[in-house]
Amino acid sequence: MGYTPCPLLLMDNQQSPPHPDTRRQLQMARSMCWHCQSEVTGEYFCDRCVKVQPVSKETDYFTCLGFPRRLMLDPQKLEAKFYELSRTFHPDFYQTKSADEQTISLSNAAVLNTAYRTLRDSIQRAEYLLALETGSVKDIRTSPPADLFEEILDLQDTLEEYRASERDSEQGHRLRATLQTEQEALERRKEGMEAQLRQLFADWDKLQDAGEATSLARVERDRILKQMRDLLSNRTYVNNIVNDLAATIA
Amino acid sequence: MAYSDKVVDHFNNPRNMGSFKKDDADVGTGMVGAPECGDVMKLQIKVQNDTIVDAKFKTFGCGSAIASSSLATEWLKGKTIEEAQKIKNTDIVQELNLPPVKIHCSVLAEDAIKAALADYQKKTDGQPTGTK
Repeated sequence: MGYTPCPLLLMDNQQSPPHPDTRRQLQMARSMCWHCQSEVTGEYFCDRCVKVQPVSKETDYFTCLGFPRRLMLDPQKLEAKFYELSRTFHPDFYQTKSADEQTISLSNAAVLNTAYRTLRDSIQRAEYLLALETGSVKDIRTSPPADLFEEILDLQDTLEEYRASERDSEQGHRLRATLQTEQEALERRKEGMEAQLRQLFADWDKLQDAGEATSLARVERDRILKQMRDLLSNRTYVNNIVNDLAATIA
Repeated sequence: MAYSDKVVDHFNNPRNMGSFKKDDADVGTGMVGAPECGDVMKLQIKVQNDTIVDAKFKTFGCGSAIASSSLATEWLKGKTIEEAQKIKNTDIVQELNLPPVKIHCSVLAEDAIKAALADYQKKTDGQPTGTK
């Protein structure tokens, strides 16, 4: 298949992502086949009895799809792998198999779908990676951007005013023009944020590829994750108001 | 999924919508957001002699977020600072009958109350506004 083997029952823990070296060790860990109890060394099937193996709930979506925790994934490779695995787990191919195998293939297909939907979108992928990397650590939460909030709430007032106004009146036209300008400005801001995010994605991948365990690398890691958290949040706020603006003045 | 009657009522007739001047000494402002859904909430209290005499809110978000903050301002009025600290998101969930997916809206409202109280207390720090 040309892909690096992806152990299914990886003892990966979402709360405390293991250090890269530990991860490599964990990848060595093998699980036991649910059917013949022999060690599973294959990717998704037992080598001995050829039964499909369940994708563990603890397996993160990157591992599940056989990709490293990077943020600049090639969408075509991702799609190709998704299709390949979809065929592998497709419930139609398990109709003549045992009930256990049917259940496993169905739940694997479901996990696979969620994994692909999450990783396919670069924003969702970054949100997911943040959740994996920071887990329940709440200190990544930053102070809310008060200025942005004020702006959003002020805009909300103008929107209300517009909704209440006569569309064809002079006031209606004026408000609509104001809102249109605001929408364009916000869209540009959103694009700016996305450009910054792409830079952070590249920074993250570079750091991971280097794989250094120095304190400097740790500082850089925290910087990237924190800035990413801020940008992703602010982008969501801006995105929401842009959508609201677009829907109202459409 | 349908909204409860109480949510719809608060959504259609939001109580205490608006704002105070946030620089006024007797005003506490809480500004919070939920990065997951993009909702933004501003909740303000006006305090005299340790009692909240008025409260206002502005919310950009879903019906539940608006209802939660609207209800919060209603509850805040007439309460002392100390009593206001005790308002929990679960109280809001119960009153509005919020479904599990909307619980975060009530959390946001509680955060907004806490932030407004903290802002007011920061302003009055070292200059008590009356005897407790």
